[in-house]
Amino acid sequence: MTDAANPSRVLIVDDDAAIRQGLVEVFERAGFAALSAPDVAGMERVLAAQGVDLIVLDLMMPGEDGLSACKRLSGKGRPPIIMLSALGDDADRIVGLEIGADDYLAKPCNPRELVARARAVLRRGRDAPTPASGDSVRFANFRLDVARRELIDPDGVVIPLSAGEFRLLRAFVERPERVLTREQLLDYAFDSDADVFDRAVDVQVSRLRRKLDRRDGVEIIRTVRGEGYVFAVRPSL
Amino acid sequence: MRRAQGLPVAAYLAALMALALLAAFAAALAVVIWLPPKPPDVMRADEVAEHFQGGYDYMLGEGRPISGDAMVWRVEREPPEIERAPQMRLAELRLARALELDADEVLFAAEHIRERSSAVVFAVRDVDELKQELDQALGEIETALGEAEWSTREAEQNLREARAHARAEEAAAAQTVQAARGDARAVEEARDVINEAREREADAREAAHEARAAERLLRAERVRIRAGHAAAHARVDIEVSERGHVSVHRVELPAAPAPPAPPAAPASAVAPAAAAPAAALPPMFAPAPRGVALISGFEIGAQLPDGRWLIMRQGRNWEEMGWIARAALVIAGALAALFLLALLFARRLTRPIRSFAEAVQAVGIDPQSAPVSERGPRELRSAARAVNAMQGRLRALIADRTKTLAAVAHDMRTPLMRLRLAAENVSPEQRDRMAKEIGEVEALVASFIAFARDDPAEEARVSLDLAALLQSIADDRAEAGDAVSYAGPERLIVTAQSLGLKRLFSNLVENALKYGGCARMALRQEEGAAIVEVEDDGPGVPAEQREAVFAPFVRLREGAGGAGLGLPAARSIARAHGGDIVILDAPKGALVRVTLPG
Repeated sequence: MTDAANPSRVLIVDDDAAIRQGLVEVFERAGFAALSAPDVAGMERVLAAQGVDLIVLDLMMPGEDGLSACKRLSGKGRPPIIMLSALGDDADRIVGLEIGADDYLAKPCNPRELVARARAVLRRGRDAPTPASGDSVRFANFRLDVARRELIDPDGVVIPLSAGEFRLLRAFVERPERVLTREQLLDYAFDSDADVFDRAVDVQVSRLRRKLDRRDGVEIIRTVRGEGYVFAVRPSL
Repeated sequence: MRRAQGLPVAAYLAALMALALLAAFAAALAVVIWLPPKPPDVMRADEVAEHFQGGYDYMLGEGRPISGDAMVWRVEREPPEIERAPQMRLAELRLARALELDADEVLFAAEHIRERSSAVVFAVRDVDELKQELDQALGEIETALGEAEWSTREAEQNLREARAHARAEEAAAAQTVQAARGDARAVEEARDVINEAREREADAREAAHEARAAERLLRAERVRIRAGHAAAHARVDIEVSERGHVSVHRVELPAAPAPPAPPAAPASAVAPAAAAPAAALPPMFAPAPRGVALISGFEIGAQLPDGRWLIMRQGRNWEEMGWIARAALVIAGALAALFLLALLFARRLTRPIRSFAEAVQAVGIDPQSAPVSERGPRELRSAARAVNAMQGRLRALIADRTKTLAAVAHDMRTPLMRLRLAAENVSPEQRDRMAKEIGEVEALVASFIAFARDDPAEEARVSLDLAALLQSIADDRAEAGDAVSYAGPERLIVTAQSLGLKRLFSNLVENALKYGGCARMALRQEEGAAIVEVEDDGPGVPAEQREAVFAPFVRLREGAGGAGLGLPAARSIARAHGGDIVILDAPKGALVRVTLPG
């Protein structure tokens, strides 16, 4: 994903100089081309000057804050945004994701986790036909609330998902009606550095099926013998 | 605060009152306009006496009282308990004379006696028709009277003849007796003859008596009809006494309500008494001549020849009943209309109050809810305005608090982030140690902020699969390598706040992991409530500290980390859901039970 010849360009927007500098170093070490801006105005100058693949955006900054900048940038053609905020509550995270951020991380975070998420977001941005960020996706009378990581069943009952189940379901929803191998699912839905095996995928899929297949008749996740799984319904926004 | 628009409640009530009065007025007006005047039940004493006279004669003739003449007749052994009124003395004496009775054999009393009427307003259908009817009736009565007089004369003639005949027979018999003395048979025969003659004479006498009675009755009828006739023609002087208003009017009486003449009695001299007086006595209300009282509620009693008493009482005036029924109908109609209006009015008045209550309730639950609409009566508008002002301050307060918390979070976490980044430049062992320390400080900051901002009312309640929630917490923890398990049903729906419950159980699991190294969650349903038990293998909580740990900043073990805010926050969330958290006895470790009502 980031080769030496054509590194992904990441723009770090934070009002704190030490954090800015630290993040630039971390990303450059990870093979990104890192740019930085101290505020939203600076960010816009950089964006006007050159293309950027990803923005790491601080939430609370003097001048325009990150949320409103994100809201303004939302739409087609903007680079993906990872929010990096001092507000780490679930509710803050949900607000950030609902406004259109692709990922949300609370300070202080592990810098390497930030890099891993940045890679995940870039990967998703490249091959996701259905953008499953923003608020929610519907399929077969279910609704997946992306920001809240919750599944709402046809009766309106909220079914909380674990992080693993959510990532797996999102991987399916973003690639519907396509056979996904266990390796692909591992790649999309699990941290690449975690020690997980094919078996773990099967376990997560069966858990997800229990939560999804309460309606009789429609089988949402189908097994393709010897190959993998297919998400058998077409989601809509 | 500016003056509230709208009408005060008092104005609404006054309007309602005015409406009620208007309805009553309209009802009264309708009664006066549409209903003919109430038929009077006041009658002339002389007419009443005459009517009684007719009834007395009917009783003598038929042996039973009249029925169906708007009077109540009865026969008693004892005289009626009537108090004599001095005003009625004259009428009583007249009646006694007319009935050929002694004065003490007649009683005549009335509840209301007026010597003279001063004003008469009375409408009768058609005066000309009435006059014609009266004339005709008078003519028929004259004819009947002539016939009666003739039959009386005939009866008297018969009587005389019978007497002469009887005397002749008697004389002949006496001669025969003298001629045939001792001849007992002849004597018997003569006696028979005499007796026969006497019987005939008695019959004749009775016939004559009856003829006289009929004549008297007819004469009375004529008098009555003439009186009515006169009244019909008369122009009446309405005199108002000098003590009152000295003015003399000459009023053209529309028509005297003389009784429509009864069909003339069949002028048969043989059974004149069988002719009942007027079948249904109409109200006899006429300007009474001087000396005639107008009475109502009267009762007359007269002794019959056999010693019993015939009593007549004024009965219920059925025409009046009809009038009352119609008046009641009009009033009831007006009241029903008023009731409907009042109902609409009350609904109109209370609708804003109801919606106000709902809006205030919504504000109490969620300060971000839409402001209360300022409608309805003035008092309600000012109350709504006050609530809206309060809601505004509340919102400002919440915004302030959120801003403060955000600033605190920012100011504390920015240096932590700086440290975390700086740690990237040191050796891996040092980095991990620093990361751990930073993590602990961050956990403290997070729990402070979470506790300070914790407002169970802020999040909406949804139908939530509690089993899935616990399972997802267990999975997330297990994924991170912690020994957390879940046992229980696969699906259990509760109405709750999803983030709130997630925080509640995450706190409990965190505590269990911190003190006990593992966490086992079990879910079951009991009496409609969901019960979750979180168990660990740690040292447990001493019985005397089981309440204390729910106070903020209380930690069981020094150096355990955390601010001691996990359990207090968890309990406040549980209580906001109408449930509770308690720590129970366990064979080993701690057992925390959360009860959430379904």
